[in-house]
Amino acid sequence: MPKTKITLFSVLIAVIFISGCSSTAQVQIDSQFPTVVSKPKPVKAAIVFTEDFKRYIASPNSKTSIDLGSAQTELLSNAFAGLFNEIEFVSAVSDVTFENALVITPSVQEVQVSTPSDTYLNVYEVWIKYSLDIETVSGDQVDSWFMPAYGKTPDSFMLSKTNAIEEAAIIALRDAGAKLLLDFYRIPSIYNWLVTEQISENNRNRSSLSE
Amino acid sequence: MNKLLALCGLILLAGCGATTTIDEYRPSNQVMDINSEQSVVILGRRDAGHYDTDREFINCVANKMKGADIGVFPEQQFVDAIYPWFEPRTAPKGLKRLRRLVEDPAIKEQIESNGIRYLVWLDGSTETHDQGGSISCAVGPGGGGCFGFAQWEKSSTYEAIVWDLTNLTEKGRLRVDSSGTSYLLGVVAPIPLLTPVKNDACTSLGTQLKQFFTVDQSQ
Repeated sequence: MPKTKITLFSVLIAVIFISGCSSTAQVQIDSQFPTVVSKPKPVKAAIVFTEDFKRYIASPNSKTSIDLGSAQTELLSNAFAGLFNEIEFVSAVSDVTFENALVITPSVQEVQVSTPSDTYLNVYEVWIKYSLDIETVSGDQVDSWFMPAYGKTPDSFMLSKTNAIEEAAIIALRDAGAKLLLDFYRIPSIYNWLVTEQISENNRNRSSLSE
Repeated sequence: MNKLLALCGLILLAGCGATTTIDEYRPSNQVMDINSEQSVVILGRRDAGHYDTDREFINCVANKMKGADIGVFPEQQFVDAIYPWFEPRTAPKGLKRLRRLVEDPAIKEQIESNGIRYLVWLDGSTETHDQGGSISCAVGPGGGGCFGFAQWEKSSTYEAIVWDLTNLTEKGRLRVDSSGTSYLLGVVAPIPLLTPVKNDACTSLGTQLKQFFTVDQSQ
């Protein structure tokens, strides 16, 4: 009887060790993101979150999948709300109700993951490459802005692959929010559109006053 | 025999002490002005490519400072309260950038409503180097054991910069350097003789920072 127990115990230990060596990771991002501290500009914008974007699951390699959809939708909704004082979120360009507004459609170009076994560094890293398709309501393209975001874990000590990739992905998502707030109004084409729009708005106001 | 063993043990343990040096710079000897409703936040620099100032060290320094009635605001709570202006990409690296940041009424309001008076930037890391020796362990039907000897050296270097968020000035800098050698002896069972280098650096820096906020050095 003790021999059977020892055998069972050995098998259990072996199974634990082997499962610990498993290199697949299915990551679900459940983190809550903080509200941005930013005074929005008096600009109208419609943000198009397509169903594909809202349900996006990244597969950076055959053994890793990261469910980013709901987390990136929450984070970018929050970040865009810090940029524009009038904002609407829609699922398709045809649903936009605003006039004289920017129509922004974010999409994910690529997600890359690197692990300590790939790089021999003691960290897990995640890159998320976003693209923002920026148009006017009439369909004229303003810009297509490439927005890369990066996150890494402080180290890999005592972290499972799933937890480490989740941590790095959360940092990358927060970085995306920071990049958006920091750089959006620095895009030259956005600046030019704002100036043109301001002149058009002033002209419209003048003509309505003269009538 | 017992005395000899005790002596050997003492010599080995004495060899595991870390050497720690603290440098402090203060532009003036004025006492730091802080009341019971104000607090200090300790933030780690995370913008370097090859290392991050680890949260464990920051929490350790924060815990060492708590003893002297200094309110220490949690790092993550502060970073979230002012999101995204203290993320690795956006955090101010100098006072010039901080002044521009605090010009934003929304950011200033967040700092004031949370009662943050001082910000301490911690930047540094602990590294392992000069590894030597070898140890091997084996298990057989008759039992097992480890034989050999290994040693490695660890060094911790951290710098703390204190910013006053009310006057938007730098109040001082502290730098801690700590190093020590750890050993692993394989005498059937592995016997670790570890030097608490990082812990020593944390204790020294935390104690010095606590004095920084409480002691009037002009007296």
